[in-house]
Amino acid sequence: MKRIIPLFLLFAVSFSATAQHEPADTDSNILRAALKGWHIKLSAGFNVGGTSPLPLPREIRSIEGYSPLLNISVEGAVQKRFDDSRWGMMLGLRFDQKGMETDAKVKNYHIEMTADDGGFMEGAWTGNVKTKVRNTYLTIPVLATYSLGSRWQLSAGPYFSYRIEGEFSGEACDGYLRHHDPTGEKAYVTHASYDFSDDLRRFQWGLQAGGEFKAYKHLLVNANLQWGLNGIFPADFQAVTFDLYPIYANIGFSYLF
Amino acid sequence: MTKNVLLLCAASLLTGFASCIKDEALNAECDIVGVDPAWVSGKLSEGILIGEPVVRNDRVDFTVKLGSDRTALNPVFELTPGSTIFPESGTVRDFSGPQTYTTRSEDGAYSKEYTVSFKYPSLIRNLNFEHFALNSRSQYYQWFEVGNTPDDRFDYWDSGNGGYAFTGMARTPEDYPTTPWPAGRRGNCIRLKTLSTGSWGRGVGMPIAAGNLFIGEFKVAQAMLKPRQATRFGRQLVTARPLRFEGWYRYTAGEHYQNIKEQILPGERDTCDIYAVLYEVDPTDFKALNGDDVLTSDRIVLMARIDKPGEPQEWTRFSEPFRPVGGRAFDYSRLATDGYAIAVVCTSSRQGAYFEGAIGSELFVDELRIVWEGDDEHEED
Repeated sequence: MKRIIPLFLLFAVSFSATAQHEPADTDSNILRAALKGWHIKLSAGFNVGGTSPLPLPREIRSIEGYSPLLNISVEGAVQKRFDDSRWGMMLGLRFDQKGMETDAKVKNYHIEMTADDGGFMEGAWTGNVKTKVRNTYLTIPVLATYSLGSRWQLSAGPYFSYRIEGEFSGEACDGYLRHHDPTGEKAYVTHASYDFSDDLRRFQWGLQAGGEFKAYKHLLVNANLQWGLNGIFPADFQAVTFDLYPIYANIGFSYLF
Repeated sequence: MTKNVLLLCAASLLTGFASCIKDEALNAECDIVGVDPAWVSGKLSEGILIGEPVVRNDRVDFTVKLGSDRTALNPVFELTPGSTIFPESGTVRDFSGPQTYTTRSEDGAYSKEYTVSFKYPSLIRNLNFEHFALNSRSQYYQWFEVGNTPDDRFDYWDSGNGGYAFTGMARTPEDYPTTPWPAGRRGNCIRLKTLSTGSWGRGVGMPIAAGNLFIGEFKVAQAMLKPRQATRFGRQLVTARPLRFEGWYRYTAGEHYQNIKEQILPGERDTCDIYAVLYEVDPTDFKALNGDDVLTSDRIVLMARIDKPGEPQEWTRFSEPFRPVGGRAFDYSRLATDGYAIAVVCTSSRQGAYFEGAIGSELFVDELRIVWEGDDEHEED
């Protein structure tokens, strides 16, 4: 949470910076901008979702537990409505967190890990895998908007994220490991922890689509789905053999200036 | 169904992905899990088998009474559900020499070869560490003794190497705690070295691995759950009363003695351990002593141990008598019914089973010998 406040400030600063590009009388400038089809929004919301392989591989037998964590998003966005059209463009700068905790039962889940001290382990794990993912991103969504009348608006487009910090850790518990493959030596394990936080990818991109509802003159309620299109680990990362995609729904509200 | 799955499925619907839990795959494992208990108890009561078979990942070893007929035996195995074995379980085969079985997993993707042997017991006498080979995956060394014929291979040694393999710290067989060493007292000897288990070992609360070699069985599967109970010391290879335990060793303790929390204990010095124990067993229900009770069990009758081995830098000879423990006496009628087992244990860190010791402690052992009643005591040296 410590990082949220400075970032929030950063937003506020960047906002006032853009605002101050305009001449002194800010209010009337925003008004003028709105009249030309420009809108400025400040949004806050929550992300709920999963960082998951798609489709779920056969090795994952069941999801025993799931916690969405408290993932916050804060966004500033500028929208331009094209003249005499329902269409528009929206460009944002977003601070968002995407995280979750899961407890999955797996069978013959291939693992391959290299420790800092050179220890190398490869095998097939059958048992429980608890995972905590929590990544914090600075994201730029580039969206097309389509207005459905005065209150409803849809938006869709790509987003590009840079991970500021991240965590991917957890434990393998109550199961057994077979060395190399299912015919290898078997060892029961009650608890072994892992942490791949340092292996996470920095750049993330995906598609988002959603809509907003203008509840009041300045207040919008919005929801969207953000679908990651590259895995959270680099392609050469072997410890988790399938790609994990961040797929999150965002629910929040916006203040429309 | 949990929220996560619901959410993922809902998300999938939006884009046309199918993302729910897939049908369970067929089993990929193909183990001989054990030997049918009914078959074992039958053979025990017929007086053919001695003790329980030892089932490893690629081997099943039975011990049978000296002179019993091995030419037509039909062991019945328990397998991973769905897997198959060839020749089939219960097939009568000639076990005058070891026989091979092939198992195949339910999904057909994996298969494994098992060597199954029925061995006559051989008295443990001279242990020279000249016979060793890599395990089936060429990761680490294992030791065996040979009898008079080439088929007489006795796999009664085991070590913690199989557990160390799981730490991933070893690149070559020479990187393991227990390795052969060419500069023995005579020919090869064994080198037992206390090593760090790295981050995987630390992750399961076992920061060091002492080099060890012992007569008995190391249950790799239990190594991370109950490490002391994974070391099962002793075999029912006793046909006389043991008198003395002799051999040669040299030892250098590592510099920093540490406890299980990896705290250095200044002033503490590592010590090796070399001992042999003779203990009582129920001939029809063999239960080995393990790391928890190998020195304290009230089943122990005789023990030979170097009390203060010190740190001799040169090859040093020891000869320890088997001393009675706890006022118990050796019983010849018990001997006649296979009621004793013997263990020989060597380790580079005396408290290694409790993950205390000094990384780098090195013990070299060679030319061990158990002198039994009736032996010519001066046949060697």
